[in-house]
Amino acid sequence: MALMDDSAIRSELNDIADYIQSLRREISALQANDLRNRRIPAAGHELAAIVAATEKASNTIMECAEAAMAADPSDPATYKAFVIERMTAVFEACAFQDITGQRIAKVIETLEHIEVRISRFADATGAKDASGPASDKEAAEVERKLRLFIHGPPLAGDGAGQAEIDKIIEGEAKSAAQDDIDRLFA
Amino acid sequence: MSADILMPILIVDDYKTMIRIIRNLLKQLGFEDVDEAADGSEALNKMRGRKYGLVISDWNMEPMTGYELLKEVRSDPSLGKTPFIMVTAESKTENVIAAKKAGVNNYIVKPFNAQTLRSKIDAVFAE
Repeated sequence: MALMDDSAIRSELNDIADYIQSLRREISALQANDLRNRRIPAAGHELAAIVAATEKASNTIMECAEAAMAADPSDPATYKAFVIERMTAVFEACAFQDITGQRIAKVIETLEHIEVRISRFADATGAKDASGPASDKEAAEVERKLRLFIHGPPLAGDGAGQAEIDKIIEGEAKSAAQDDIDRLFA
Repeated sequence: MSADILMPILIVDDYKTMIRIIRNLLKQLGFEDVDEAADGSEALNKMRGRKYGLVISDWNMEPMTGYELLKEVRSDPSLGKTPFIMVTAESKTENVIAAKKAGVNNYIVKPFNAQTLRSKIDAVFAE
């Protein structure tokens, strides 16, 4: 009986050892250090570059528009040449979209890289999602966004259009809006 | 046009480009006296030092949002009657209702055009 117990315990320990080995392989496959040290910072740099490029292009386009609007039209030939020169600069500035598109593709590639590894890890370990935020900082941010109605820009068709907003502001909201009002007081 | 609009307009947005866009649109509409703030707390400080005829504010800013600014303005007897237009990408119905409950005069969803801005300013000063 004692031998059988020892054998059962040994078997259990072997299973646990196998599971730990398997877990170590899956953790290695996550490439967490590569994600943390290289891929995620690189994606952050790409996004920062996108913000900078769009801001620079917007400024260039607005400068051209401001200059064209302020130009003296009294000499039509000079005015036309100036406007054409400014509009050419607008076209040149719009080239940012090609570059930012390529940068966005690299960020998406990183997200897909992470998704594949996280999915594989979750499947291999049978991990279940814990509820709630992962840190006090995240909890505070979630609470702030809920309290201050911060959702960010909606996708097409997700938010109210200007006409619907006008109805609410003018007090002609559809009855469906009452549900939203009720939620405010819930 | 109300005499109040002869006073300066305060644009509140944390995005310089959007401030520039609104400033240019206002210029086209004939409003030259325009001031700016990068968030609600800076706007509140400016409003306590100068009288504005209209506030045009974004919603999502840090540390103080436009929604918090609106509530602060409405709860301050010296500022409470300042016309306030929210200009934001936050277009959920609950946002509009919350802003209306807090006393917003009008609400514009981004992106918008000069005609929309003009019609909302006209509506505010027709009240």
